[in-house]
Amino acid sequence: MDNWDPSKPILEIENLSISFFTRAREIPAVMDFSCTVMPGEAMGLVGESGCGKSTVALGVMRDLGKTGRITGGAIRFKGRDLTTMSEEELRHLRGSEIAMIYQEPMASLNPAMKIGAQLAEVPMIHQGMSKQDAWALARQIVADVRLPDPDRIINAYPHQLSGGQQQRIVIAMALMSKPALLILDEPTTALDVTVEAGIVDLVKALGEKYGTSMLFISHNLGLVLDVCDRLCVMYSGEAVETGNVEQVFTEMRHPYTQALFRSIPLPGADKNARPLISIRGNFPLPHERPPGCNFGPRCDYFEAGRCDARDIAMDPVPGDRHASRCLKWTEIDWEAPPAARVAKEKLPMGEVVLKMEDLKKYYSVSTGAFGGGTTKVVKANETLSFEAREGETLAIVGESGCGKSTFAKVLMGLETATSGHIMLFDENVQSTPIEKRNTDTIAQVQMVFQNPFDTLNPSMTVGRQIIRALEIFGQGDSDADRHNRMLELLDLVKLPRAFAERMPRQLSGGQKQRVGIARAFAGGAKVVVADEPVSALDVSVQAAVTDLLMDIQRENRTTLLFISHDLSIVRYLSDRVMVMYLGHVVEMGTTDQVFAPPYHPYTEALLSAVPIADPHVERKRIVLEGEIPSAMNPPPGCPFQTRCRWKSQVPGGLCDTEMPPVQKLADGHQIKCHLSAEVLATMEPVIKVAAE
Amino acid sequence: MEDLTWLSILGRAFAQFWPVWLALVVTFALSIRYKRHLGLYGKLMDSTVGLFGLWIVLFWVFTALFADLIITHDPLAQLSGLKNAAPGSPLTSGADDLYPYYLFGGDSRARDVFSRMVMGSRMVLQIAPAATIFAFMVGITLGLPAGYFGGKLDTLLSFLANLVLAFPVILLFYLLVTPEIVQTGIPMYFAAVLFVFPIIFFVVLFNSRFRTNPPRRNLLVAITLALGLWAYSGLAFNMDPLKYLIGSPVFSMDPNLLNVFVSVVFVNSPGVFRIVRGLVMDIKARDYVAAGQTRGESPWYIMLWEILPNARGPLIVDFCLRIGYTTILLGTLGFFGLGVSPESPDWGSTINDGRRLLSVYLHPAVVPALALMSLVLGLNLLADGLREESLKD
Repeated sequence: MDNWDPSKPILEIENLSISFFTRAREIPAVMDFSCTVMPGEAMGLVGESGCGKSTVALGVMRDLGKTGRITGGAIRFKGRDLTTMSEEELRHLRGSEIAMIYQEPMASLNPAMKIGAQLAEVPMIHQGMSKQDAWALARQIVADVRLPDPDRIINAYPHQLSGGQQQRIVIAMALMSKPALLILDEPTTALDVTVEAGIVDLVKALGEKYGTSMLFISHNLGLVLDVCDRLCVMYSGEAVETGNVEQVFTEMRHPYTQALFRSIPLPGADKNARPLISIRGNFPLPHERPPGCNFGPRCDYFEAGRCDARDIAMDPVPGDRHASRCLKWTEIDWEAPPAARVAKEKLPMGEVVLKMEDLKKYYSVSTGAFGGGTTKVVKANETLSFEAREGETLAIVGESGCGKSTFAKVLMGLETATSGHIMLFDENVQSTPIEKRNTDTIAQVQMVFQNPFDTLNPSMTVGRQIIRALEIFGQGDSDADRHNRMLELLDLVKLPRAFAERMPRQLSGGQKQRVGIARAFAGGAKVVVADEPVSALDVSVQAAVTDLLMDIQRENRTTLLFISHDLSIVRYLSDRVMVMYLGHVVEMGTTDQVFAPPYHPYTEALLSAVPIADPHVERKRIVLEGEIPSAMNPPPGCPFQTRCRWKSQVPGGLCDTEMPPVQKLADGHQIKCHLSAEVLATMEPVIKVAAE
Repeated sequence: MEDLTWLSILGRAFAQFWPVWLALVVTFALSIRYKRHLGLYGKLMDSTVGLFGLWIVLFWVFTALFADLIITHDPLAQLSGLKNAAPGSPLTSGADDLYPYYLFGGDSRARDVFSRMVMGSRMVLQIAPAATIFAFMVGITLGLPAGYFGGKLDTLLSFLANLVLAFPVILLFYLLVTPEIVQTGIPMYFAAVLFVFPIIFFVVLFNSRFRTNPPRRNLLVAITLALGLWAYSGLAFNMDPLKYLIGSPVFSMDPNLLNVFVSVVFVNSPGVFRIVRGLVMDIKARDYVAAGQTRGESPWYIMLWEILPNARGPLIVDFCLRIGYTTILLGTLGFFGLGVSPESPDWGSTINDGRRLLSVYLHPAVVPALALMSLVLGLNLLADGLREESLKD
């Protein structure tokens, strides 16, 4: 290993092919994949789920399980071919030279071992370090990953830490033996955005400090722009474009990359004037890939007889090691505006349909094991007031634990409010649980759920589930009538009618979500609560589902309550935004008001934390310190005071003692903060779009 | 006539099972032919373990069905000179219309071990699956609300279930089957309570599903109630109305059988209850359950039509395993003389009969013991295969 030349690539993957062998057939997961990672470089692997990016990572670790096998190509790490290495040699490499960080931090840590012991294990095994030295090193690395109070942390068990802290420990563990290559597989997907921002900063800083090369796998283009130097875009088992991040982001030379960028909401996208363009069709299944170009059937530039004639190889593009797997990249006019873009008319708003006044929802939680102990009150929603108009999209934004789901439950009638009023079309439904609501009220307020794999009953056909909703809402006079209406609903969500007979497992995530939407609109819903309806979907599908929701909204003049933590999509589709933190509404106003200064300090941090996949956008980095406090034990005074960077600007320590008043700024813009109007006026915009 | 050699004994026994082989071949040929359309059962055809288990189980099922064709002698008939006869012994009195050999020998009362073993399968397969189905009805009907609503109801029901589970099973059986206890009518009250659950289950099932369509709902509920109560009166109280009208009841149960049946259902239900409760607690957090709630579905619809079908995988596996336990339990009961009737050929009683002379004559006890073992083994393998296949995609 010592005779390795540091000017050579640290990882070189050449024409790698990986297949999984099932009972029925061989499933090629990765085909003809090549990439090079130089020392100290961060390489991003981007693609939708099922494109094979994680398989590449597992292939590098040679951890493909019983059914996976490398069927061709070479993986050279520091010049040595990993594909021919023995298990014994691999064991020396794994964890010491190559380390991997997985998505779910809790699953990577042993819950029965103290943090310190888990960390110390690594150098003790690989370098035969003494226990004392290893613990000392563990303590130092814990401090390096910027965890407060490392002495306490190394003596803690994993469950005593929060998700963000756990992920930092996993990173620390990976760094314990100073690996030359770090593989990160969606390391922040399970975390909240403000926590994610902290982890991303940490990973970048550590890469610079230790000179570690990184293979960063993500579906989030913005994140890749933040972290990586180079990237490789994958589609259906193949790398389609690779190159320098800046170059690929600004001068992409593959239709898939271009389509991907057109389908994500970047600043400047607007649901009426510049709507997103979704990629048509579906991701091909591994055993149903088309001949020739895999992206062919979904590509706008497809040319029959040429693109589907034979396998296509990577073709170098001028620039910094830039390459594209496209036959026509020299012929396509990359600057041309998309043809499919149709501007739509803005929907005028109507009457107030939903009005909440001082809504409160408290839970009492008993802490003792046998019903004894003290009873604590969890304030899930605190004095929530707002109105929503017909045809309006109101976004509710916040991180986990902010009370947005509780709010949805109360509105739906699954829980009853502790106090306050909910007026739905002049009817007070605040204390009416769902069993007592009449069918009309229930049919008018419906919900679209987050997890597409969970939203449909797996043992009932799609048609049956929609018909059941029709039955319950008293729609249709006969079974035949309801069957027809079900088919119409499938038309409405743009699914083929044949899907009525399918079982949910035969549908893709986006298709399931469409069925979920059809079911919600079965009774002609007027208010639809969409709880993160697209966050679990792939980016190319997100745009299509979002579009569908808005089309239906346009047609039915539905009021959409859009719950989300993703500010890009919120900015794109909502008319008004409500930002929540620990049960409080900290800021509310029109989308323009909320996304421009003056901000509430929390909104400011949230905005800066969201990665944006556009190199033209300049973003101020504000990384919040600490974790979100538990709703069981909120801080006194302002709920955000523990993490607020503007706290020193408030005289007299008001933040620690008093709940801030609601300040009315401009028309309809309100902020719950102690900061004076003058200080607020000094705030600078977080996001600046550089002039092109 | 000479005694038969071991080879010819096995050959003749094999030939005697011809209806079973025929049925097995037909079943498997059809199953493999149409396995793509048969769901989980079809997938079982790809698993060696599951296929083997299914083969054994079906062997006993068909044996029970065709027992009348397979037996060589009347299982209760005693033939002179064949007391404790060795396997393959020829008959001494040359009655021409009788099968000329005791294939697996004779027992201590000179009855044919082979025929008793074959007939015994009928006893076991009559009671074990039926009792398990009843136990499932009870367990599901109570486990669903306990898991779904939680709270005090759950605490109460779980406590009762633990109470039953904590009580020594054999002691419970002795108590339930003791003549003094039987005379107090306690087993009948047990039956009265336990047999209500299937009726409740189906009434709630149809009511929740067809709530929006009253005519169909009323029809289905009425049919369930009529059939259910008819069977209930006959099985639990031996008071089938037809007994009084035309003299012969359709539904009736031998009092001894009722005791055994009730005891088996009683001790099995808490186990099912706990499994169902656990599954419900897991599944109720899914979004489709929340979707049902926001649609204003009744709790029972959600439990029976949204949750229960999605809990079927583990329940089917448990069903197979539980039939196995019940088979062993019935064997144990028979062994302790708590079985159906002293003369009956069920395997447990036969093993007990053979036990007394075990050191001298092995075969009267070993043959039913092997039969019992193979059936339970088959059920366990089948459950393993089902579990394995249900996890695969």
